[in-house]
Amino acid sequence: MRTFNPEGHTAHAFDLELNEVKHKVMTMGGLVESMVHNGLEALLTMDQQIGLQVTEDDHKANQLELDIDEDCTRILARRQPAASDLRLVITIIKTITDLERIGDEAEKLGRIAVKLSNEANVPAYYKDLHHLGEHVKVMLRDALDAFTRMDVEAAFHTAAKDEAIDTEYSNFSRLMITHMMENPANVSHALDVSWCARSLERIADHACNICEYVIYLVEGQDIRHSNLDEMRKKLL
Amino acid sequence: MSAQDKRDTTELVQSSLQRRYAREKRFRFFGLAAITASLTFLAVLLITITLRGLPAFKQTFIQLDITLDAKTLGTDENPDTDALRKANYNGTIKNSLLALFPDVKKRADKKRLYKLVSNGAQYDLQRKVMADPSLIGETFTIWLPVGDDTNGYIQGNIDTTLPEKKRRFKDNQVQWVETLKENNQIERRFNYTFFERGDSREPEMAGIKGSLFGSMLTLTVTLLLSFPVAVATAIYLEEFAPKNRWTDIIEVNINNLAAVPSIVFGLLGLAIFINFFNLPRSAPIVGGLVLSLMTLPTIIISARAALKSVPPSIRDAALGVGASKLQVVFHHVLPLAMPGILTGTIIGMAQALGETAPLLMIGMVAFIVDVPTSLTDPATVLPVQIYQWADLPEKGFVEKTSAAIMVLLAFLIMMNAVAVYLRRKFERKW
Amino acid sequence: MNEEVTPLPSLEQDQTSEQTIEEIVASLGETVGEPRVDDPKMSVSNVNVFYAEKQAIFGVDLDIANNEVISMIGPSGCGKSTLLRCLNRMNDTIPICKVTGELMLDGEDIYGKDTDPVLLRARVGMVFQKPNPFPKSIYENVAYGPRLHGLNRNKADLDDIVVNSLKKAGIYNEVKNRLDESGTSLSGGQQQRLCIARTIACSPEVILMDEPCSALDPIATAKIEELIDELRENYAIAIVTHSMQQAARVSQRTAYFHLGKLVEVGDTDTIFTNPSHELTENYITGRFG
Repeated sequence: MRTFNPEGHTAHAFDLELNEVKHKVMTMGGLVESMVHNGLEALLTMDQQIGLQVTEDDHKANQLELDIDEDCTRILARRQPAASDLRLVITIIKTITDLERIGDEAEKLGRIAVKLSNEANVPAYYKDLHHLGEHVKVMLRDALDAFTRMDVEAAFHTAAKDEAIDTEYSNFSRLMITHMMENPANVSHALDVSWCARSLERIADHACNICEYVIYLVEGQDIRHSNLDEMRKKLL
Repeated sequence: MSAQDKRDTTELVQSSLQRRYAREKRFRFFGLAAITASLTFLAVLLITITLRGLPAFKQTFIQLDITLDAKTLGTDENPDTDALRKANYNGTIKNSLLALFPDVKKRADKKRLYKLVSNGAQYDLQRKVMADPSLIGETFTIWLPVGDDTNGYIQGNIDTTLPEKKRRFKDNQVQWVETLKENNQIERRFNYTFFERGDSREPEMAGIKGSLFGSMLTLTVTLLLSFPVAVATAIYLEEFAPKNRWTDIIEVNINNLAAVPSIVFGLLGLAIFINFFNLPRSAPIVGGLVLSLMTLPTIIISARAALKSVPPSIRDAALGVGASKLQVVFHHVLPLAMPGILTGTIIGMAQALGETAPLLMIGMVAFIVDVPTSLTDPATVLPVQIYQWADLPEKGFVEKTSAAIMVLLAFLIMMNAVAVYLRRKFERKW
Repeated sequence: MNEEVTPLPSLEQDQTSEQTIEEIVASLGETVGEPRVDDPKMSVSNVNVFYAEKQAIFGVDLDIANNEVISMIGPSGCGKSTLLRCLNRMNDTIPICKVTGELMLDGEDIYGKDTDPVLLRARVGMVFQKPNPFPKSIYENVAYGPRLHGLNRNKADLDDIVVNSLKKAGIYNEVKNRLDESGTSLSGGQQQRLCIARTIACSPEVILMDEPCSALDPIATAKIEELIDELRENYAIAIVTHSMQQAARVSQRTAYFHLGKLVEVGDTDTIFTNPSHELTENYITGRFG
């Protein structure tokens, strides 16, 4: 297993720049993580305030993405990074895209929470999201941890959780379809909740992507679209 | 390019390759042959000179019992210095020779007997007596140089198988010398005379001290004059002078000057230094002046080349830290150019050392017995001395000529050694 | 092999046969970007440089700011080195070189009557393309400048200056035990850092660097670049380089020259991510012949 060390360049300023941009990615990760948490919270508690908060945070996330993108462009133009440095910059560019999408999905959760909280007689289907949401939150946190520590082992472990979440999501979908068939009057509410579940599932997918980027960054192997277990045996 | 083409090319190259290698081999052979030829010539030259000149470093001496009685000397019992100088030493030497061979009675035989001892032996005796006047009235043993013919006989240069009439060294002389040899009264010793005396008409009394000192004095003047002037000129022309038509003309003229036949400088010296400035004839100072004129262009040209070869990056570096033009030259460029300048100087000095023609014009060719002690004393120099001796008929001078050449060569080698040493010392990498 | 090889069209030939350099320069238009900065250390206004009849620089305006590295890039013969050498009057040594226009150092005309080039060169130091230490000891190399200008009161002073300069040039640890060895015994990169130490020792205000890394290997280059970045804190630095990557790495502002004309100047970030002039774009993307 290879290790990754972003420091030790002769050009001290390069170290600083890489560290700064990496730090910004972590900040963005933290922000997005809290957005997911808040979005879910807003949904589960029907708290309009928290929902609006998520919408606001999304602007911050978008701004961070622009910032980091610019930093990366500058690093590419001025430092001509190679090898692990190049992979780090590419990984960061890709990661922030995924983080931004996660932010968008979280914002969607918040928006639906606000919308639902404004309506009367909302059935408590959304309470069922609790379980799926917790899983997704854990997965996202683990993915971000793996990124922070550049931990391939953890990345493999986290990426593998995606399958379980997919299964849970299809179970949840079936549950919603059952609800809709049983109670056609609440189809629109059930659809909203389905959208939320869909968002959570997408968040997990993005988290999985981040894990794959971490593996690419450290090992230099692109493991997307290949069998996770085989790659794991090969690399670890 | 097709495979066929490729093969054709390979064949073509291969066929020409052999021709090319053969050409290289031929060229190497020619080079080697040329080196061998020149080395052979050099070896022949050196060996002949050495073989000819070596005997001149030995001198034959004869042991005589001298009785210094005032009567023969023609002085009184306590003579003053003047009387001592004028005393008849020759007579005492003749007397002691006659005492050795009492049966020689004929006038002609006596004359031959006297010729065994050098004509200059009386001066050796004179010097000894003048150093210690108490010797008068005493009898003592002394070693005196033999005459030229005797010396030649001892060295085996005289063929005794020839009929007596055809040789200068007669039968009875041979007999006397053989007798002396048996009595251990003939000996060969290192020839200090050669290094301690000036010129002489007698080969056994002739030395190179006079011309050696003359050369040294002349070269000193040449060096002291030409080196600073030439280096200053070179620095000005190379570093400071504006590049225009005037400096171009000066440059061309300096180069032309280096190619002017040296005798022209002699004529110039005669006209200017002797006739116009009334400097003494035959003096090392005039010789030095003339040789400076001749050496200047050589040193200027080599010094300019040396200055030019100092990399511009060094000048840039010095200018860049704020050195003025003069500081750049004297702190950096000149020290780096020094090895080259010194080489050029030594080459110029070696040329000057070997130069004869211009010195002939200013009278350094005179017969001068005394060793020069100042710049205005009449003097001669080594190559002129060689030239003079080579002209003389006596057998002894043939040896002396070769010996003087050897001394001149040794002088040259010494100067070159100094040049190499100085170059090593000053040489720096950049 | 049977095909006729068509000769490649020569860019230079086309240019010279149809247009004079003056015409091409005129067609380049005004300088793009802002050549001026607030409170410049050195300021160049409408400078033209001629070598005999040939004009090498055409009406350049440019400022050099304190605590900043400005890099000058451009193809060979674009006049960047010429301009750099004007900034400390190294061009004075070339008799046929003539400079017109205004070059200011702290508001004083450096080509003015009152300005002494020797003093100027002490204030505006220069590092050259080829590492050129004097063939003297390392100590003497650094001590030469201060001694020349009388910057030290005594030997201890001089020792301090030498050690500090070597430290600032990041070479002290490598040479502290052999200060009396020849400067030429060092490696190329060390020699260049020694030359930088020598320049620093004269306590200049501006350091000019003329392709300081072109004779060095990548590791030595990286060390020099890091050093340049550190020196930025105390000096105004102008660097001419053939390597645009180097310009991108070390400089805060970049000026692009073409045929003696300043085509574009701006923040290095902007120049290397989004240049405005087509020629700049072509040059830094490697699309020039």
